[in-house]
Amino acid sequence: MLPPVANLAESVMAIHMHMQMTMFIVVGVLMASYFQKRFPGFFEKWNSNGVPGILLFMVILGYWLLPRTMHEALSIPAVELFKFISLPFLAGVPLRDSWGKLSGLGKNIMYILLSIIFGFMAWLYIASPVQLCNNYLIIEQKTLGWGFVFLAVSILIYFISTLVIDPSDYE
Amino acid sequence: MKNKQYNSIAILVVLLFGAILFFIGTDGFSAYTVETARVNKLMEDNPVFPEVTLEDSKERVYSFSEFEGKYVMLTFIYTACSDVCPQLEFNLAEVYKKIPQKYIGEDIVFLSISFDPKNDDPATLEKYRYYFDSDGETWRMARISGQKELDGLLKEFGVTVIPDENGNFQHNSAFYLVDPNGILIEVMDFEEIEIAADKVNTILDSKVRE
Repeated sequence: MLPPVANLAESVMAIHMHMQMTMFIVVGVLMASYFQKRFPGFFEKWNSNGVPGILLFMVILGYWLLPRTMHEALSIPAVELFKFISLPFLAGVPLRDSWGKLSGLGKNIMYILLSIIFGFMAWLYIASPVQLCNNYLIIEQKTLGWGFVFLAVSILIYFISTLVIDPSDYE
Repeated sequence: MKNKQYNSIAILVVLLFGAILFFIGTDGFSAYTVETARVNKLMEDNPVFPEVTLEDSKERVYSFSEFEGKYVMLTFIYTACSDVCPQLEFNLAEVYKKIPQKYIGEDIVFLSISFDPKNDDPATLEKYRYYFDSDGETWRMARISGQKELDGLLKEFGVTVIPDENGNFQHNSAFYLVDPNGILIEVMDFEEIEIAADKVNTILDSKVRE
């Protein structure tokens, strides 16, 4: 990303985590089909049931949810570089490749797991009396927490809708 | 069937990668937040208190070497602060009370340093010290007027200060103990008064026995 854009995105905690980092994953998701076409054998061989890919996605996601890593992405250039690489290529790409391969049960587990994780992060950032990241104000930390509430609730609502709504009724 | 095997290998690789990533990212699972990492690093680095010029609430101007040969218990504050600083200073006062009288002023000096030199002139500091029963002598409050010197000290001691739009600052807080040679030896949780006081007393006791 262009340095001025990166600066702008990183100046607000919530934008940094909920927009910049999410966008990087989206970038990876969008790029995935290129890699799938280029190396079809690789994905078919190593990620045939989608589990390794989704695990990799979760590892990268979990890593970037640590309060410390987000801080270090700002203060240590190597970590920042890792952010730019890991989010699209190690989270976005495997997510797209794996999602279609996951069974219904696998997807449901993911929905629930993600809402729990984001719910926990929300609680952490909102309830924490101490500053988790020294580069941001506490009020921004709370904003970020509410962003996580939004995310967790959205995923949960979507999950419930997949259970009760049958898309074929509307076709 | 073959694919299943590859899948399992891939899962193992991913898990291993994750474990290594988290291990490195958290200094071997010891520091999940920057604050822990900061304190851990400070205790390893043991930075030396830089030569700065202090101006205290009694308008005395001296350099930090004034305290040579004594332990110095430090906090970083600004007087306009309404949330954490009063708590920090109140707790520092509690620690001060728990140090045996014989050590106070002789072996240890308390010092609160303001990082807002523009607003915290000696008169303001003089008023501020009253709130916490600081005597201005064995517990001094001082500002560092030179912005360069101040920034250098804050950087050296890992104090992050972010000004906001309303003239307030967001900052991290802790008790810092500097030894008689000016070396930072302890960074303590300011909410754990008992632990901090015990630690300081142990250090002072062992020094006197020497």
